[in-house]
Amino acid sequence: MGDFDWNAIWYGIPYMLNGTLVTLEISICAMIVGCVFGLAFGLVSASDMRLPRAVIRAYIYFVRGTPALVQIFLVYFALPRIGFELSAFWSGVVALAFNAAGFIAEIVRASLQSIDAGQSEAALSIGMTNRQSILFILLPQSLRRMTPPLTNEIITLVKSSSLLSVISITELTRSAQLIIAERFVPFELYAALAVYYLVIISVLSWISEYIEKKLA
Amino acid sequence: MSLLAIKGLSKIYGEIPVVDRVDLTVQQGEIVMIVGPSGAGKSTLLRCVNRIETPSEGTITVDGTDMAGEVRNGKFVPDKPAQTAKKRQRIGMAFQRFNLFAHLSALDNVAIGPRRVLGMKASVARELAAEQLARVKLSDHMAKRPAQLSGGQQQRVAIARAMAMKPVLMLFDEPTSALDPELVGEVLEVIKSLAEDGMTMLVVTHEMQFAREVGTRILFMDTGRVLEDTDPKVFFSNPAHARSREFLRRIQMMPA
Repeated sequence: MGDFDWNAIWYGIPYMLNGTLVTLEISICAMIVGCVFGLAFGLVSASDMRLPRAVIRAYIYFVRGTPALVQIFLVYFALPRIGFELSAFWSGVVALAFNAAGFIAEIVRASLQSIDAGQSEAALSIGMTNRQSILFILLPQSLRRMTPPLTNEIITLVKSSSLLSVISITELTRSAQLIIAERFVPFELYAALAVYYLVIISVLSWISEYIEKKLA
Repeated sequence: MSLLAIKGLSKIYGEIPVVDRVDLTVQQGEIVMIVGPSGAGKSTLLRCVNRIETPSEGTITVDGTDMAGEVRNGKFVPDKPAQTAKKRQRIGMAFQRFNLFAHLSALDNVAIGPRRVLGMKASVARELAAEQLARVKLSDHMAKRPAQLSGGQQQRVAIARAMAMKPVLMLFDEPTSALDPELVGEVLEVIKSLAEDGMTMLVVTHEMQFAREVGTRILFMDTGRVLEDTDPKVFFSNPAHARSREFLRRIQMMPA
């Protein structure tokens, strides 16, 4: 390891930190949008509303059955065609949120349905509608169950944001690639890149564990 | 007019009738004890009354209201889910496994119905809930979560939860079957006191002593059919049906 180019890593720090910032910005925006839509879609897909449920099933089928990279290209190139001129940044947010919402909807639905059937029967027996039963009885009880799979999904989302380098968003991965192109030090920069992601994901996991304990 | 009228009720799973052409009329204030071997369709019958199970055939009328729908312009229109929910408000139910809302305190378990279903103000709903909990002697445990309560206490909270909705009919689905023996008494005591207050009820039970003492009628079911519908004294001393005699012998309520 004598010829490991530490200088390239020091040199890269300001660019990589800048990229980290962009990665975090995109991830947080996509996470918020994805969670809001994912929760709504999950509630609908656990409900007894047939048509909306079928539409959401189809959407989830698509999200699960196509690679995230393809979804990113679709959003980036298809949205302008139907009249939405978004910057690369917001295209990235939309693409990641589109993907995450599908998986989060499944997490929400599965958690709701994992609650003992006696709970919803009791809710119905006192005259609650299906919707009230989901909102007041099942959802509060499934929040804690959702936290671990939701953490996995958010971790996936942060890592998927590296794919946005292909639509020329200078997030963390592309920052590293730019430095590599300039100095030709791929091993050093990719190693550093891995460490940057590890730190981000570790912080995320730590926050998630904290929330899970709080919900206990 | 009878409080509950069941006509030709069947519940069929696949091709097996779990409840098979049951007719039953219950007057206000009657306490109907439903007994019989497991798999007789007792619980399913109960669950059809408040439509937690949808009957395959037959009609159920509670206090003059058809539970399945209504006739408009000479045509029968089935209820939408929201209407079914509204009709269920008037029928209370206690479950074998209590089914208390695990995330709520005893007080909120009882208050949530009046609050969310009847639309009462939170303070009024909690006051009503506290009254109902006092009635089942749980005033000292109102803040506890279900997991912190004994089985007997949980079932009493569940009864208070149902009673807070001011039902005209109470359904008990084996309310003491999941309890340790020493906790059975306190729950039966509560059910008995409701009976004394004139509440109309259907009770699926394996507590024969209790059925004989508190019931005004015994319904004996086997393989989905009501085989006997009679006075408790008659049922336990002189059952008409061979299957009832066999059942009573098995549970040692009758000498061999």
